[in-house]
Amino acid sequence: MKRYHLGELEELILLTVGILDQEAYGVSVLDEIKRQTGRKVNISAIHTVLNRLEGKGFLTSQMGGATEERGGRRKRLFKLSGTGRSAITEIKELRNKLYDQLPPLALDFSHGY
Amino acid sequence: MDTKFKHFPPKWADRFLEFYCAPTKLEQIQGDAYELFYLNLEERGFAYARFRFWIHVLSFFRWSNIKRTKTYEYPSNPGAMFKSYLKIGCRNLLKQKLTTFISVFGLSLAVACSLVAYLFIEQIWFKGMLQPNKDEIYQLTYTVEEADGKVTYGTVAEPIAELLAQEFSQIKSHTRVRQGFPVLIHKTDSYYQRVIYVDPGFMEMFSFRMEHGYAGALQEPNQVILTYELAEKLFGDASPIGQELSLVIEGKEVQYKVGGVLQKLNDMGMFNFDLLVNFESIGFSSDKLPLQEAWNAELWTFVHLEEGVDPSQLKAGLHGLKENQNQINPDKPYLSLDLLRYTDLVYQIGKIEGGVRDFLGLGPQILLGAISLFILILAVFNYINISILIASRRLKEIGVRKVIGGKRGQLIAQFLSENLLVCLLAVVLGCCLAFFILLPGFNQIANKSLSLDLLHNPYIWTFLIGLVVFITLVSGLYPALFISSFEPIRILKGNQKIGSKSMLTSFLLTFQFVLAIIGIVAGVAFVQTNRINGNRDWGYDKTDKIIVNVPNQEEYFTLKDRLLSMASVEEISGSHGYVGSFPAEREVSFQDQKYKVDYLEAEANYSSILDMKLKLGRLPDPDKISDQREAILVNNEFMEDLGLIWPVDASFSIDSLEYRIIGVVEDFHSVYFQRPIVPTIIRASGDSTFNYLTLKMSPGTAVSAMDLVKKNWRESFPREIFEGQLQADVFDREQQDTKGVQKILLFAAVLAVLLSAMGLYGLVSLNMSSRLKVFSLRKVFGASQEQLSFGLLRRYLIIWMIASVIGGALSYFVISLFLDSFFAFHSGVGALSLGVSLLLLLLVIFLTVGGQIWKVLNTNPAKVLKAE
Repeated sequence: MKRYHLGELEELILLTVGILDQEAYGVSVLDEIKRQTGRKVNISAIHTVLNRLEGKGFLTSQMGGATEERGGRRKRLFKLSGTGRSAITEIKELRNKLYDQLPPLALDFSHGY
Repeated sequence: MDTKFKHFPPKWADRFLEFYCAPTKLEQIQGDAYELFYLNLEERGFAYARFRFWIHVLSFFRWSNIKRTKTYEYPSNPGAMFKSYLKIGCRNLLKQKLTTFISVFGLSLAVACSLVAYLFIEQIWFKGMLQPNKDEIYQLTYTVEEADGKVTYGTVAEPIAELLAQEFSQIKSHTRVRQGFPVLIHKTDSYYQRVIYVDPGFMEMFSFRMEHGYAGALQEPNQVILTYELAEKLFGDASPIGQELSLVIEGKEVQYKVGGVLQKLNDMGMFNFDLLVNFESIGFSSDKLPLQEAWNAELWTFVHLEEGVDPSQLKAGLHGLKENQNQINPDKPYLSLDLLRYTDLVYQIGKIEGGVRDFLGLGPQILLGAISLFILILAVFNYINISILIASRRLKEIGVRKVIGGKRGQLIAQFLSENLLVCLLAVVLGCCLAFFILLPGFNQIANKSLSLDLLHNPYIWTFLIGLVVFITLVSGLYPALFISSFEPIRILKGNQKIGSKSMLTSFLLTFQFVLAIIGIVAGVAFVQTNRINGNRDWGYDKTDKIIVNVPNQEEYFTLKDRLLSMASVEEISGSHGYVGSFPAEREVSFQDQKYKVDYLEAEANYSSILDMKLKLGRLPDPDKISDQREAILVNNEFMEDLGLIWPVDASFSIDSLEYRIIGVVEDFHSVYFQRPIVPTIIRASGDSTFNYLTLKMSPGTAVSAMDLVKKNWRESFPREIFEGQLQADVFDREQQDTKGVQKILLFAAVLAVLLSAMGLYGLVSLNMSSRLKVFSLRKVFGASQEQLSFGLLRRYLIIWMIASVIGGALSYFVISLFLDSFFAFHSGVGALSLGVSLLLLLLVIFLTVGGQIWKVLNTNPAKVLKAE
């Protein structure tokens, strides 16, 4: 089985791009993460991760959507690719699998505490 | 929303971002940064937004975002590129017809000169190297211990050749080679010809292209093979094969038939000969001789080994042969018997006694090499100067090419390819020039038969290709590098100054002038020397004298009587050798000191017949018996050299016989002016027969009586060769030689002046046309003609002055050295030759620059200024 190695931020951004669907680019991802998690991420870090994820094949991109705020410059719009989606699914399943194996939070003194 | 677009992100940060950011990412990053800026502006105000923008720009400054120069592999098409380079090159050349002509003409002259010099030098160093088997041929040599150390001889005992062939299976063929100079008789004419006697193996070992007949003709002992030149001389257009001729070898006349004729050798053969004769056909073959005498006869022996055989394999066998020889000939034991590579013969000159090659003659090689190098430098400098100036007209082209991404290497390649075009053109033209004009002229002067044989001589190709590469790089590399180094911005703005006043141009021009001065000084000094030597007193009266040879002593008296009976002959005298032939040397003992002096034996009346000028004492008296026994006449130099004071009472001994000085004559030249006057003795000999007769003719009859003298001589010697000549002609050959050198030097001087004049002309006219506007403006503002002309001339006059100082000093030393090496008596480098050369050069400058000034002075300034 193919393994997907994703860092924490990578995972977060991959999910955010998936959520934003068609409208994901640097600033929107930044906003969405801030809104959903309250976490402030540096814009340049987001760019780096986006490019890296695209390089790994989890995202695809195209140019488009110029606005006045951007001085007429286009955005690079990212989209989740098939691989990206299966990677998220796999990671989620892996997390669930691991979570399910956690022992119940019981007062078990067998460890000697 | 409307107000926010009055503010902009910080300019410097934005610029910085544009500066470092990779172009593929710039749009995305800059867009996001702007968007964030306006978000921040809305939320927190301008200052914060500006601050955040800076932070963002700096945080984007990461390795993955930074612009890098990447080497992209663009598919290129060098073929098409070179094609277009060549096309541009051709067009440029055609556009600048005058300067192209100057470059090509100068370079082709230089190429032609270097070709002639090269052929001359090649013919010495690569002599015989066109033989296909050269690497497998070896010459036998032996070494013996002599009084002054080990000596190696190039000849070996004759029977060794046969023994070698029998002993070794590795030897393909062998030949003995012996030189001779017999009389050749064809019909009624007789000539001395250079013969080499060889074994039939000679024609297998060395391959010659045949004009007529076949190479195996020497298998028949009664056949000979002629050179092309000899066949032409003897038979003209008639077919030479089967013609009969005879050779007089050691007194016997041997009949031969012509079996073949070689093609022209062009001085590239190892041996100098006019005909090849089978060794067996002549009497002195050793077969019939007793053993020891056979081993005493020595000659050159060559062997041709099988391919791939190392000569060291023959060592043991050679050692055996050596022992064999030492037994038969114990007086002269060989230390070793060796094989010498045929290709190494030239390096052994001077180390081997009696070898095939005995003379290298560096002097003429250096002279010719130096001259052609001079011309080459002049032409190349012309080319460099002109191409830099021409390039200044192509600055726009260079700028545009650079702006649209032409790399420096490409520009250099383009300029070099244009150069290559010019050089190729020059080499082709130079070959034609050499072939049709220079080589025939040089062959006539130097008595050579050099030829530009492109079909059969691979060395010439090597030389030509080397020459093309050399000229291209030397003349093109600097201009190409210089021109391609300009910055496009400066070129396109028109700020780039180039060429006209650069130090390099001045330096090259000075150097050219210096070379021209040296060239002219050499020519003038040589002419001056020849003129002085032409009028130089020979120390005796050379007019109205005829010298004839006496080949056979038995006929001496009949010949003498016969000649004396001629009406125009006044007096006659015999001598061994004559004044003007190369003198014999003898050792004279005087007061226990030994001196080497020139020595001439003659009848008592010889000195009076030659009208030698008596200084002291008396001339020998034919009637006095005592004079014939012990009288000697000496020249003035003899007295001075030995420090004698007249009268001399002491006696001199030569070969243990005593002699007395009876008179002193003024110095006379017995050798041409290359050699200083040396102490000379003329002995009034008592011998009754001599090998030369000198006839004193009645005034003015010598030339016309020559035929009659020859006729009388023929009656005594019907089959011998007549070597009669006028006393006035004894230095004929030397005079021809010096005339030849004079021609070469004058030719070089003319070329040097011509080339520097052409280069100067090209330079000035290019300069002038680019500065025409300046001159027109100055004229409009009232500059006088003098001011304008002086301004134009000044630079060249300064260069002339510098060149005069350097060139004058240099030529004084160099040419004096040159004359010293050539003549014992010469004019030296005087005011005349220096003055002529400097003034001539000045004249050339005035004419070339003056012509251009004339043009400038006569142009209408209004026209020039209105033109744009």
